Amino acid sequence: MDFTYSEPQTQLKDSVERFLASRYDLRRRKALMDDAAGADALWREMAELGWIGAAFAEADGGYAESALDAFVVMEAFGRRLMALPYLTSIILCGDLLRHAPAAGELIAAMIEGRLHVALAACGNAPLHSPRYGAMAATRDGGGYVLNGRMSVVLGADRAQKLLIAARTAGADGDRDGVTLFLADADKTGRRGFRMIDGQGAAEVEIDNLSLGAEAVVGAPDGAVPLIEAAIDRATVMACGEAVGAMAHLIPATAAHIRTREQYGAPLAKFQVLQHRMADAFIAAETARSMALVAAIGLDGDRDPAAISSAKFQVGRASRQVAYQAVQLHGGIGVSEELDISHHHIRLTMIDRLFGDQAFHLRRYADLTQLGAPA
Amino acid sequence: MDLSIGPEAERLRDEFRTFFATKLPADLAAKVRNGEHVTKAEHQHWQRILNDRGWLGTSWKKEWGGTGWGPLERFIYDEEYSAAWAPRANVPSIDLLGPVLIEFGTEAQKKRYLPRILTSDDWWCQGFSEPQAGSDLAALQMRAVRDGDHYVVNGVKLWTSWAQYANHIFALVRTSTEGPKQAGISFLLIDMQQPGVTVSPILTLGGMHAVNEVRIEDVRVPVDNLVGNEGDAWTISRFLLGHERLVGAWIGPNLALMGQLREKLKRPGHDGRPIGADPALRARAAEVESDLMTLRYTAYRVLADELSGREPGPIVSVLKVRGSEIQQALTDLLMQVGGLEALVHPFTLPDGRPAVSPERAHMAQQFLDRRKLTIYGGSAEIQRNIIARQIVGV
Repeated sequence: MDFTYSEPQTQLKDSVERFLASRYDLRRRKALMDDAAGADALWREMAELGWIGAAFAEADGGYAESALDAFVVMEAFGRRLMALPYLTSIILCGDLLRHAPAAGELIAAMIEGRLHVALAACGNAPLHSPRYGAMAATRDGGGYVLNGRMSVVLGADRAQKLLIAARTAGADGDRDGVTLFLADADKTGRRGFRMIDGQGAAEVEIDNLSLGAEAVVGAPDGAVPLIEAAIDRATVMACGEAVGAMAHLIPATAAHIRTREQYGAPLAKFQVLQHRMADAFIAAETARSMALVAAIGLDGDRDPAAISSAKFQVGRASRQVAYQAVQLHGGIGVSEELDISHHHIRLTMIDRLFGDQAFHLRRYADLTQLGAPA
Repeated sequence: MDLSIGPEAERLRDEFRTFFATKLPADLAAKVRNGEHVTKAEHQHWQRILNDRGWLGTSWKKEWGGTGWGPLERFIYDEEYSAAWAPRANVPSIDLLGPVLIEFGTEAQKKRYLPRILTSDDWWCQGFSEPQAGSDLAALQMRAVRDGDHYVVNGVKLWTSWAQYANHIFALVRTSTEGPKQAGISFLLIDMQQPGVTVSPILTLGGMHAVNEVRIEDVRVPVDNLVGNEGDAWTISRFLLGHERLVGAWIGPNLALMGQLREKLKRPGHDGRPIGADPALRARAAEVESDLMTLRYTAYRVLADELSGREPGPIVSVLKVRGSEIQQALTDLLMQVGGLEALVHPFTLPDGRPAVSPERAHMAQQFLDRRKLTIYGGSAEIQRNIIARQIVGV
């Protein structure tokens, strides 16, 4: 039994943290949101450092020792509030590209930092339950014609390609009959905007887009299990990001209340605040255990129940930690000047992304046959 | 990172499981599962079965009749022990005093007391808390005044668990009022079967008699009964609490309670549907089970640290806070799924044919009994102080 990172994983963690500490702060984060060329340049540097390849197994062309490598990168991103689309593009879509006919080329392009992909699936839900909300596709000779609109597709603003879930058979909600297509993003109607946490997104409108059979990723009608598996993996990585953010917020808040004086004493002298910090620590530290177990599990037989348990724990803990971080910082905690408020927003987003706490408790109960479905 | 415990530990787990399945009397297991009272004679009977197998002194060195196990073996044993619904053996004797005597006792003390613990002829209780010393143990006042080869002891111990069964008490006593409060406290072994020792019951919420007041008046205790030197009690207590660092997480007992809850959620409720079909109840049960898994893996992290020789430190307070809260939540849920029958007072039920199911009759009492978990052994507030100061640094 061992819960420590390997030597290479520790080095990876240190190198990501060191690089971001010197190259990526709140000001640069904000600047890059309006500077696509600057963001691309930073992204290619990150690619050269090997962080994108860390998300892919050797068999897929990457250099990950285990799924924990990407978890380590996500933890460091969480600490430093990295807003570039590693999670949605590399982790989520990268996993799906493994099933594409041209998987080798596509993943190589990703690892080199030349390709971003966004997933248009799950309708209006925050990327869970791919049985629902697929676009429409009809067969046309050997190919397909796609139609539909999705109001929010995360990462679609700057992606070169889109992975589009479209229903080729059955009805909304059926597990069978959803097919995944890879299309050039420029062939779709896109109107970009940002989410509340600063990450890019776009409305995607597809009007009679013709695609050949080679655009199909995985088996026709069989996309749901692939997307579910990719979402499960991305869920664990989102947990890693939140774990990193919590590990930053707790000492940052402790440092603030040790130095901030009111009524002639540091805030840290008040037991009510000490106990809030203790509770935040308990929540973060235990959630980290569950997240690590879910991450370790990605390398063996995927255990979706453990993943749901982890997402629930991390979601609940990160909301608590972020809420208290803002609260204990007081006025400066709600300003956009300090990273605290941005972490609060990002952790709120992560809590919803890939299924919120209620969703994952229900899924946990379903998967483990707890009680009986209503 | 690696979650596996290795083939040797897995084999041991199977061995434990088989032993409990064949040797634990079914009626005794049912009593524990139902939350019923287990008598001293039943405890002794079961402890003797364990001792015959050599598995009673699980935190004792081999030379004194213990298992000589490390933390991993003990953790697995505890999980299987609880899963089988075996009654908790006499914890103060076996898990607290035994290791203390082995570490700090004289040869004479070890030879005199250790064998009688293993044969279950002696039953010790722990005399720590006092009327004015709860979580703040250093405030204790029981006096031990030296008089020749004896100490003359006077004072009151409170909340002493199972003192009504005990023939000995190990007590923290004040041998000095000089210097820092902690430095004047000593660890003394006192025979309770003598004039001047009075045990009075304290009934706790739900009508249970588990704790007592132990009044000690002018009792002469031989100096030979001092463990370590005068003033060593603080060091000894720290050692003793270190021994139960993983126990405070209640992983084994909580897993067993969760298993029971899962089973009961499948049974038909008042409307004929499974009790666990209620979405709010189901979500609550899922939340508690997720909390329990999460705590179990946190305990594994502490265990892994111990196995690699790293001192776990104050993270143990996290285990204690959450383990206690989870057990309170589980016993609350078990009371809830038991319906009206879970709200009876079990001591008032008529003899003969059971008026209500024994599986439900003790659930309110069990829930009430667990209120103590966040109070004793350093209250949940003390644990939060420790976490805030020693880990978070505020």
